[in-house]
Amino acid sequence: MTVIHYVNQFFAGLGGEEAADHEPVRFDGPQGPGRALVAAGLPIDLTVACGDDRFALHEADCLATLLTWIEDAGADVVVCGPSFGSGRYGYACGVLARELGRRGTAVVAAMTPDSPGVLASEGAAYIVPTTAHVAGMRDAVPLVASLASRLASGEPVGSPEEEGYLPRGLRVNIRSDELGAERAIGLVLAKLAGDVRTEIAPPTDRVAPPDPLPDPSTALVALVTEAGCVPQGNPDRLPTRHANVWLRYPIGDRAELAPEDYVSVHAGFDTTEANRDPDRLVPLDAARALVAAGRLGQIYDEFFTTTGVDTPVAVSTRMGQEIGVELRNAGVDAVILTGT
Amino acid sequence: MGIPTVFITALPTIAQMVGANRVVRGVAITYPTGDPSLSAGDELALRVRILDRAVDMLATDVAPRTVWEIDG
Repeated sequence: MTVIHYVNQFFAGLGGEEAADHEPVRFDGPQGPGRALVAAGLPIDLTVACGDDRFALHEADCLATLLTWIEDAGADVVVCGPSFGSGRYGYACGVLARELGRRGTAVVAAMTPDSPGVLASEGAAYIVPTTAHVAGMRDAVPLVASLASRLASGEPVGSPEEEGYLPRGLRVNIRSDELGAERAIGLVLAKLAGDVRTEIAPPTDRVAPPDPLPDPSTALVALVTEAGCVPQGNPDRLPTRHANVWLRYPIGDRAELAPEDYVSVHAGFDTTEANRDPDRLVPLDAARALVAAGRLGQIYDEFFTTTGVDTPVAVSTRMGQEIGVELRNAGVDAVILTGT
Repeated sequence: MGIPTVFITALPTIAQMVGANRVVRGVAITYPTGDPSLSAGDELALRVRILDRAVDMLATDVAPRTVWEIDG
């Protein structure tokens, strides 16, 4: 088993803030807190490190170097941190975890639950919650070592409640010995006793409804979809599931999304009927009809698309925010969003 | 603030769960704005009706997580 540890300049012993611009560097064996992980039973083969400012200011270059080193070493698991309450260090840990997760490498990190690294990791890492200060090292190390050892050897890891890591925003199907009715009654009794629990935690991100359109007949309206509609041939290779990107395509003066021009590559539903007429997913023809009737002002001349399947809420949130900025900058007044 | 957005989906309960505020119930998961059982003309008429409803909703002050049926 090959274990790699990522730390920042401070924990690598390179220096404090004066070394925050340190370029990526690697060491054989453990450094700093890596020695505590070794003592807890997790052998560290390689330590990779980077200055916090360097990572923040040159993210793409630093990531490329770190990922190359990690891939060359053939990591079975990568440990990031603990970064405690450090924002830049936590962010670097989260981004590295996300990229490793996309490449199929298991990652364990440790940081405060409100660290920007938690959101940046997009559910890719098993994140052990820590205190804001390094005094929490003693509590974090055994759990980090235990999770990393099991992930590296392919042993099963339990739920966040059982293990103590932060929820990753994933739903995992499990087989229960209890009937649904029994579990429901158990939850009700627990709630009556003051312990509010749920088997499926809904996200709680709430925004107020934006003000209504004063006059649709003058509005610029954009079409957005998660139905995976792309030009035939999927020229930009939109992933069919686990998409972490969205794309935009010009519609110009097209009257409709014709089946010879567009296709859904969504892997989450049977696209047979939709692909006979992609307007069943992105209703351009009907939107044109409303414009012709004077009911709507104009249709924005690009549509936005992604595949919404197996997508963590954190990724969806990020994509929604990114598309929202584009629409805002384009002066779009309203959005018609379709989902499958 | 914000850009009013109407979400057309056949799974409005999930839309509500994640916090969508303007939701119009679509026809089916696999074709929210269509119906292959209809003739082409009738299907386009249905699609226009769905979008007309969606535009109505965009122009309406709604409570959080409101769901409208196509024919309300």
